[in-house]
Amino acid sequence: MDRYTLSLDSRRRVAQGLIVAAALFILFGLFKLQIIQREEMTQLAENNRIRVVPVEAQRGSMLDREGRIIVSNRPSYTVSVVPAEEVKGRTLNNLSRIIGFDTLQLRKRIRKTQVTPYQPAPVRKDIPFDIVAVLEEQNSEFPGVSYQLDQVRMYDDSLAAEAFTGHVGEVSEQEMAKAVAGMYRMGATIGKKGLEKQYDQPLRGMEGTEFIEVTAFGEILGPYEGREPVQPVAGSDLLLTIDEDVQRTAVESLDSFCCGAVVAIDPRNGEILCMTSDPGFDPNVFSGIVTDSLWQQISNDSTHPLLNRPINGLYPPGSTAKLLTLGAGLESGVIDENTSFKSCGGGYQFGNRYFKCWEKRGHGTTTAIHAVEMSCDVYFYQLGLRVGVDQLSQYYSLCGFSRPTGIDLPNESSGLNPNSKYYDRRYGKNGWTKALVLNNAIGQGEILVTPLQLAQFYAGLANWGKVYRPHVVRGIRKPNGQESLVRPELSFTLPFSTRTLSILREGLRLVTEGGRGTARRLRNELYTVCGKTGTAQNPHGKDHSWFVGFAPIENPEIVVCTIVENAGHGSEVAAPIVGKVIETYMKKKLGIPLQVAQTATLETKP
Amino acid sequence: MMTRIDYRALDWKLIGAFLALSLIGIVTIFSAQFYADSAYKQTYFLRQSLWLAIALMAFLAVLHAPQRLFDAGAYTFYGVALVLLVAVLAVGHSRMGASRWFDIGPFSVSPSDLGKVALLLTLSRFFAYTRLPIASKRRLGLSAALALIPMALVLKQPDLGTSLVFMVLLFALWFWSGLSPWYMLLILSPLISLVAAFYWLSWVLYFVVLIAFLGILRPGLLFSIVMMLFNLGFGMITPMIWNHLKDYQKMRILVFLDPGYDPRGAGYQIIQSKIAIGSGGILGKGFLNGSQARLDYLPERHTDFIFSVFGEEFGLLGTLIVIGLFLYIFYRCLGIAVRCRSKFASNVIFGAISIFFFQFIVNIGMTLGLMPVTGLPLPFVSYGGTALLTSWVLVGLIVISEYHQHEY
Repeated sequence: MDRYTLSLDSRRRVAQGLIVAAALFILFGLFKLQIIQREEMTQLAENNRIRVVPVEAQRGSMLDREGRIIVSNRPSYTVSVVPAEEVKGRTLNNLSRIIGFDTLQLRKRIRKTQVTPYQPAPVRKDIPFDIVAVLEEQNSEFPGVSYQLDQVRMYDDSLAAEAFTGHVGEVSEQEMAKAVAGMYRMGATIGKKGLEKQYDQPLRGMEGTEFIEVTAFGEILGPYEGREPVQPVAGSDLLLTIDEDVQRTAVESLDSFCCGAVVAIDPRNGEILCMTSDPGFDPNVFSGIVTDSLWQQISNDSTHPLLNRPINGLYPPGSTAKLLTLGAGLESGVIDENTSFKSCGGGYQFGNRYFKCWEKRGHGTTTAIHAVEMSCDVYFYQLGLRVGVDQLSQYYSLCGFSRPTGIDLPNESSGLNPNSKYYDRRYGKNGWTKALVLNNAIGQGEILVTPLQLAQFYAGLANWGKVYRPHVVRGIRKPNGQESLVRPELSFTLPFSTRTLSILREGLRLVTEGGRGTARRLRNELYTVCGKTGTAQNPHGKDHSWFVGFAPIENPEIVVCTIVENAGHGSEVAAPIVGKVIETYMKKKLGIPLQVAQTATLETKP
Repeated sequence: MMTRIDYRALDWKLIGAFLALSLIGIVTIFSAQFYADSAYKQTYFLRQSLWLAIALMAFLAVLHAPQRLFDAGAYTFYGVALVLLVAVLAVGHSRMGASRWFDIGPFSVSPSDLGKVALLLTLSRFFAYTRLPIASKRRLGLSAALALIPMALVLKQPDLGTSLVFMVLLFALWFWSGLSPWYMLLILSPLISLVAAFYWLSWVLYFVVLIAFLGILRPGLLFSIVMMLFNLGFGMITPMIWNHLKDYQKMRILVFLDPGYDPRGAGYQIIQSKIAIGSGGILGKGFLNGSQARLDYLPERHTDFIFSVFGEEFGLLGTLIVIGLFLYIFYRCLGIAVRCRSKFASNVIFGAISIFFFQFIVNIGMTLGLMPVTGLPLPFVSYGGTALLTSWVLVGLIVISEYHQHEY
């Protein structure tokens, strides 16, 4: 026997010792409960009802970059039924008369939300005070019914911010099943979309618990002293990168159109300054219990209010993609900035097809930067042919298209970036011709991008190739005031040299400042601004109108990307919206009051 | 095939103790669900009776089985159990988010119970026949691997409580085959370090203890250094992982480690269980008179909280009888394990009572509010067919080993 082993006899003694220790341990527990605490426990068992009442933690607010509240809570009443105290045939009948659910629905709600028969099972949230008053006055009519004061989410609907805030709702059975046991209570509120979903854990805090002693008749005796109440821990606030003024300008200028999106990024760090999707929905309606008919109405709306256009709307980028094609051409060496092609006479013959330029009169012979200035399609058709389908597609990938930007919002779309493999699959080998690249070169055809991806690309152009991951949350503030800030994160670098970037930026400058620029009307005396128009053909109707712009040109601080669906030319519809958003931002920066800005608006030059 | 045995020479006192516990179980299950609102629940005791009949037949079958069957077939049983444990993850019937059962006709069968027996036989055989030195790394490593595979599968279900039973079985047989408990502690020390490192002060204190421990045990310089490095390494992982977790992930871990963290679910049951047992007093409220149980306060009252129902109705007098029966069993079986000449049989008996002992202390500790809620049933007493069946198979092995105790 060495020191690692134990003789049989010692083992036996160790095991006997364990048995004796266990016996003492359990006998101690039994004596304590059944002899010492017998009286107390008997008392509890007799008038026993310890009601376990969850105490909701206050959900964190969302504040804009200047600390203005965008999402908060308001007090509301929730009606619950304690199943064990319910009188069959009376409680639910009376209750259904005043709160608008029939007894069957009430029964279903109770079954869904009850934890034990002695805990209040919430049946309806956010009920008006006059109903609470009835419950209070005629409480004998409603045996087993109780109500609690708690909180309901409140969104500022005028900000049309649901594109990033998302909304909350009641936890679903699937969500319960996915979470760890004890994470959510049936009937609890949980983030369903947007930031509410992405940051649900910090926002929700931790629910507390109260133990209340009640008699067999439901009379409340007071807190149960045998167990400490668990205090709720309030949720953390989200400090957003959004600027409420910029957001409001975007919403107001988009308001007169049916459908579209605006997103603005600070190219220096990826902070999202505003983001809106039009038409939206009022996220407040989801805070209560969503009835089937309301759900039907929202989800069957032909304008798709539930589609989050900035991150899930998929559109061909139109002429805004010409900068990418030009970058690809310069970078791969197929052209330099002085290269010109066959003159534009309003179109380009390729094989047996004639590809039109948007300008029927033609643009004549141009060089690269002037082709951008005038958005000459014919120039880019010929450039696209030289770059080639696959090389162009590669540049699309390198510029961040066809993959999520990694913004801190759930369920972002990737878009579509076709290459020859894709076309082989789609049309069969040899089932397609090089003519497709002509479309791709001007952002038409099968290429699909989200407004956010396009904004991200232009943020890269504005920031000399460095693309920061777009994000809406600047920091999280715990209830004790402790803030943890999100550090800007370099996402990727555009595949363009500084030289290429300066040529592209010169092209962008000419769009607003050049003599034949397509967005000359954005010029103003306060600051420099540049950008690119886009008009995306749409097989289902009128063209979509794009504009992506940034300012100031020398040291860009804001990139704004706008799409207005079925609205026609980019220069006519989208460009003025971008202009107004940039104007609000720049005026704030320059210290010019915004009210004045609304009337004495931009000096538009011919 | 059937082995003849002399029934008069069996240990009837011991069998009687097990049978008494099983019958107490059926009576208490009857009482626990007597006032239940569904007819299905009211017949739990009938199903348990049927299972007891099957279990007793299995017990007889074990007595009459060829003497070397369990010894020789250990690895085969182990293989079959592993297949079943994998299968239940794929096709098992799930309740409350865990897939633990197969439905066979009206019965649900839980393969983790079969896994316990299979691992018991396998480890007993391994330790009985291996020639490797007791503290050799290969011996410890191989046996740990045998235990960790089924344990991981059970953990995947997820069933933390039962997977702990597999762990206990491994330690129990390490101990019973002669490994010093101090040395076992040393082997497990990196895991302790992992936990101690949650707070720097506790980690420093832990290292003081560890160094003192190494000084007393003197396991060799190289070994000590390697152990220290392991402890340092594991301890340093903890804060690194912890700090990189998001708040909600931290919370998940806390809920996992301590289900009592959830005061409305598990915590509520504990309060009600304490009230039930405490209000039973010395003599109890009498059969079918437990108001706690009747009023539906104890949600798992026929399984995990059966002892609370019993304690309420039969008081201290009743609970002392149950505790006494268990202690008698443990003490007597320990004696048999010491006397048995066959090393395999001795291992099986010690392993079997270790399982019973662990579940006994964890379950009753839980109902008394002295231990966290783990969801382990009380052996022989709690409702559960497969558990009862496998328990009685173990009783068969204990009784027949005692019968042959003088043989090698």
